Amino acid sequence: MEIKLPMLLDGAMGTMLQKSGMKPGTVPETLNITDPEMVAAVHRAYYRAGSRVVYANTFGANRLKMKNTGYTVQEIIAAGVRLAKECAKETGGLVGLDVGPIGVMLEPLGTLPFGEAVDIYREIMRAGADAGADMIAIETMSDLAETRAALIAAKEATDLPVFVTMSFDATGRTFTGCTPASMARTMEGLGADAVGINCSLGPKEMIPMIREIRANTTLPVIAKPNAGLPDPVTGAYGVDAESFAEAMKELAAAGAEIVGGCCGTNPDYIAALARTELPKAERPAIGGAVCTWAVCLSTDRVRVIGERINPTGKKRLQQALLEDDTDYIVELAINQADAGADLLDINVGYPGVDEVSMLPKVVQAVQSAVDLPLQLDTTNPEALEAALRVYHGKAAVNSVNGKEESLNTVLPLVKKYGAAVVGLTLDENGIPDTAEKRVAIARRILERATAVGIPKEDLWIDCLTLTVSAQQEQAMETLKAVHTVRNELGLKTVLGVSNISFGLPNRMLVTRAFLAAALEAGLTLPIVNPNQKEIMDVIAARRVLSGEDEGCRGYVDRFAEEAPASAAPAANAEMTLGDAIRKGLRKEAERLTAEALKTRSEMELVEQELIPALEETGEKYEQGKVFLPQLLSAAQAAQSAFGEIRGSLLQKGEQGTDRGAVIMATVQGDIHDIGKNIVITVLENYGYRVYDLGKDVAPEVIVKEAREKGVKLVGLSALMTTTLPAMAETVKQLKMLEEPPLVMVGGAVVTADYAQAIGAEYYAKDVRDAVKIAARVFSDP
Amino acid sequence: MKIPVEEALRYMGAAQADEATRHLAEETAGMLEERLRPRFLWRAFPIARGEEGIRLEGAGMTLPGTLAEKMLAECDTAALMIATLGAGFDRMMQEWEKRDMARAAVMDVCGSAWTEAVCDEAEEEIRGRFPGKYLTDRFSPGYGDLPLQLQAGFLQALDAGRKLGITANESYLLLPCKSVTAIIGLADRPQGAKIRGCGYCRLRGECAYRKRGIFCGD
Repeated sequence: MEIKLPMLLDGAMGTMLQKSGMKPGTVPETLNITDPEMVAAVHRAYYRAGSRVVYANTFGANRLKMKNTGYTVQEIIAAGVRLAKECAKETGGLVGLDVGPIGVMLEPLGTLPFGEAVDIYREIMRAGADAGADMIAIETMSDLAETRAALIAAKEATDLPVFVTMSFDATGRTFTGCTPASMARTMEGLGADAVGINCSLGPKEMIPMIREIRANTTLPVIAKPNAGLPDPVTGAYGVDAESFAEAMKELAAAGAEIVGGCCGTNPDYIAALARTELPKAERPAIGGAVCTWAVCLSTDRVRVIGERINPTGKKRLQQALLEDDTDYIVELAINQADAGADLLDINVGYPGVDEVSMLPKVVQAVQSAVDLPLQLDTTNPEALEAALRVYHGKAAVNSVNGKEESLNTVLPLVKKYGAAVVGLTLDENGIPDTAEKRVAIARRILERATAVGIPKEDLWIDCLTLTVSAQQEQAMETLKAVHTVRNELGLKTVLGVSNISFGLPNRMLVTRAFLAAALEAGLTLPIVNPNQKEIMDVIAARRVLSGEDEGCRGYVDRFAEEAPASAAPAANAEMTLGDAIRKGLRKEAERLTAEALKTRSEMELVEQELIPALEETGEKYEQGKVFLPQLLSAAQAAQSAFGEIRGSLLQKGEQGTDRGAVIMATVQGDIHDIGKNIVITVLENYGYRVYDLGKDVAPEVIVKEAREKGVKLVGLSALMTTTLPAMAETVKQLKMLEEPPLVMVGGAVVTADYAQAIGAEYYAKDVRDAVKIAARVFSDP
Repeated sequence: MKIPVEEALRYMGAAQADEATRHLAEETAGMLEERLRPRFLWRAFPIARGEEGIRLEGAGMTLPGTLAEKMLAECDTAALMIATLGAGFDRMMQEWEKRDMARAAVMDVCGSAWTEAVCDEAEEEIRGRFPGKYLTDRFSPGYGDLPLQLQAGFLQALDAGRKLGITANESYLLLPCKSVTAIIGLADRPQGAKIRGCGYCRLRGECAYRKRGIFCGD
């Protein structure tokens, strides 16, 4: 199918069917089979009104929504597409397979795994292609993850052109917070043929968002607005056909080239649109960027890549990876984000760690808590693809190099998932010792990237930092190469800088000098430890000198925050570790623990300081003298102290304190887990090892984990009356184990009587109760 | 719209909260107000009465059971409403559960209190559109004998998936998590309070306030 611009699409289907007498509660897609004439009438009217493409009546035809209709996805889609094709004959128009959201939320907000969403969509796309659709229209999407799943499925299952539109509201975001820029970048990267907006808003309200999309894509832009808003009493929409067509001129001027209507529009609107001459918009130049669902980061200025998530030489991180402790990694991500990193490098390569499963797992965990774009750092192509698949946004890949094998395996993946990529200037012969030769490799990588269709803006060259104390002449070669790559090839540049000073006294001075020189030479993406203030100071200064930091505002703010030199009253010399915990001061608790460990043993600190302080806070909570937030703050301060203690034990090669293992889970069907998470925070800080199985967990999974981990105590939570039966079932199955664990239950609707009735040993009315129960369970020998 | 912080503290059993907790709650409420735009949606449907219960023809829904019958006994119209803080709230919770559980706990109750306030606003709007009519208390699927299973039909009738991004799972729990559906009846005579109060509350057996002899609405 050829995309000729401007292109006219159709208008609403749902509101048209309602007007034609579809009964409320009817699943509209079933009409393709039960009342095809009702649907065909709508299609014909749109073709006659001037639609080049009409979307078939297949919006909700997925296996979840069709489950109770008595029809399969294939039947509904085949009927729908054929019906539209039949109607198209009259005008020679085209038929789009219409694909909407699945109707349940994906992880991590919901519980549908990404891979399953891709499967659901693959079935739809296949059925549409088989039925002879000319193109695919993924529309009314709100979640970037789900939209990715749909587009990946369309590209993998068919060769059809794909239009992708999401729904934005007046705040300029989708319901899940995705921005138009992030949507445009991500979808173009994944190979969409046109991107834009449908539904939610009237044409006028859409203008700023259409502009934002246009500024972030080279693709044609789609606009399919509603006829204004419906009246809640009459159901009538506010904008008439003529005003709609008039307003569409403004949308076209903002960049929309493929136009149609959504809810509330009808063939009159399309006819009016067909009579209207739409102005043409200029195409703006599109700079480079990477993004997450919420943040689109232009790479046309200096951006800091945080390097801390890399296990090389970091014992605590190595252990976290071996133990599957993603919480610790998320903490590292949060710290770097707070310290001013713009992107985060993610490397989980370590002996004993399966990168293929760990890299995507860490990517998902970090993306659930931090908005920053990620740079996926691995030499394992399988791990890279697994991570690219679940990264929601436009990622960066670290890295490809001049070796044939690397070029052949990495670049196609970068292209398929629409990422940016770091090109290392080394090849089969190692790292060249002159700038010229490194630039030659960069040039070769550029040619190869261009050949597979990766835009120039998405290739970042790393000219490689060598240790100056070992190969002194190389520092200048690196800087020269950076300069040439930036100015002659016009590419963005990446450099890990700290390596430069290895083996020298006062390393920071040399690193800072090198960083400043590299930035001057044209370094755009320094890879550094953002937690090192001295390094970030250099970046802040550079942003002032280059003019990026307009009016020096960022710089002034940075140092204004520091002005009150000594910290809050917290940093009191008299404060004990117990005080710091009781007051919930995390940094202070950490510092005092490190201090105390110089003279006292780990066990002594746990027994004499940590536990008593936690107990005291717990008792006050029971008496209503302190409240839940203070209890949790104290627990978190204790967690920081435990972190120090654990580190100290690790240094000595000893294991940490372990007061016993507990499994915690929110039962199947239940998705509210704040209560369970609160209990976990506190239990962990009493030294219990907690296996958090998450929310909506099937009884079988809990039983399997209980058996494998051999835990003595399982905690279950449920919030709604509808999920109580799942709790009962879980307890029943647990009790059939050879060595059944003790079970404690809690949650808004659970009562002591209910706990007893379903055979749970303990009912915890709140977090304090849960701690007491654990203490009782684990004090028995 | 502002978050009723005192109400939120009450949900947490911290009505008598100290300065620090109150400050945390106010600060957290400020963060939510800055980042999120709660939304609501409602539609009015004429009531018909059938053998299976109250029938809302335009919505394709039947409200079975005695609660709906009692609540809507004198009504000719029922408004279905749905309010949500959106998935942005779930995102923020996810982030803060990792960053600081104390704030996350406060954020959770602020979200609940805010959702109720949004429902109040929706109710006001409905009242404004029906001058001369009297409104019943709000009631929702899951109250009394009104089945939670109605949530699916509710979402469909208001097209809430498309219009507000709200979904229900197989247990009929709504996502995003701070989403509420409610029914309000419209009558020609003043409607007595039929629903608010401990008698209708699921938590009456366990309520910390009742044990102390006080009322959560105090």
